[in-house]
Amino acid sequence: MKSLYVEGDSFFHRLPPRPKLILLLVASLALFLTRSPLLLGLAAGAAALLYSSLGIGWRQSRIRLRPILLTIAIVALATLVLNSMEEGIAVLLRLTTLMLLAAAVSATVPIGDFINEVTLAARPLERLGLVKASDIGLSVGLVIRFVPEVDSRFQQLRQAHQARGLKVRATTMIVPLIIQTLKSADEIAAAIDARGIRGQRQARNSEDSR
Amino acid sequence: MTTRDLVLAALFAAIIVALGLLPPIMLGFIPVPITAQSMGVMLAGVILGARRGTVAVLLVLLLAAIGLPVLSGGRGGLAVFAAPTTGYLIGWAFAAFTTGFIAERVVRPSQTSLTQTLGFFVAAVAGGVVVLYAFGITYLAFITGIGMNKAFIGSMAFIPGDVVKAVVAALAGRAVLAGYPLLPARA
Repeated sequence: MKSLYVEGDSFFHRLPPRPKLILLLVASLALFLTRSPLLLGLAAGAAALLYSSLGIGWRQSRIRLRPILLTIAIVALATLVLNSMEEGIAVLLRLTTLMLLAAAVSATVPIGDFINEVTLAARPLERLGLVKASDIGLSVGLVIRFVPEVDSRFQQLRQAHQARGLKVRATTMIVPLIIQTLKSADEIAAAIDARGIRGQRQARNSEDSR
Repeated sequence: MTTRDLVLAALFAAIIVALGLLPPIMLGFIPVPITAQSMGVMLAGVILGARRGTVAVLLVLLLAAIGLPVLSGGRGGLAVFAAPTTGYLIGWAFAAFTTGFIAERVVRPSQTSLTQTLGFFVAAVAGGVVVLYAFGITYLAFITGIGMNKAFIGSMAFIPGDVVKAVVAALAGRAVLAGYPLLPARA
């Protein structure tokens, strides 16, 4: 899996992740306070300028933004037809601005920095006893590691189907795929605990003894 | 959460991501293509139950948010949370929770396979259709200002596909329950 991060040395690249995420949050709220086409147009222009300063390139940008831009266009068009011209334009400009800002943040914050921010944001929840903040990074790492594994299982199952002359169907593939994948959970969990990665031997023992 | 629960949720998140790699299929009687990924949300609830299922879905959303192309069609990044359809993504977590919550309470190992399948189907529809669309439609109506009725009509084309997914999820959930039961882990 390739992340959306793009190497670069623009101003936005050098800005630390937190102000960028705060900017995105503030923008996502502020954009809904106005419906003036002029203000929203200016915001969209600024976002476009920012996005273009990152040096992502047309080809790559089209791959990244087209699916979202398409849904925005459809919904804006529907709003225009169902409600008014003004509403339709406001929806189009607002969502396009947000999309460009969000894409700019995604392109300039590496995965590791993101995980640090998320872990930090989860600290208050940890104090409430809801999550263990360090588990977040571990789980993200696990999922990234497992996706190719699941994919190769899927290919094996497909070959097994073809070798037996069976049609590859979702209904006959999903069950063995899920069972095979989940069956490895015990081994992986044992391996994690054996290495003390979660560093909670005592907590785990008390859970076991319950 | 025990380490095993965490690993199960992470494994299931990987399955949901892998389901997004499958090309969308067209069914003759439904006008829109259906993707396997949203079925993964129902499956998470049906197979892992409320807690672990919700964690699995949250992990997929987290991976998408931090910029990995894990959603169907290779979508990802914070930009997918700035789309008109973001309500459906937010709804995923609640859909998995509802499906799991109902499945845990309705389905018992002692029931016949037909009753179990029906229980899973009810759970999958309640979570993956009712709760999911409540979030998706409310968000769409709010963000565009077109009103709930029009947003609902605009989303209707996708409902038959999701009911078909609930059927497949129920059958798969029942088969996994028979082959490798994880659901009655409410110690």
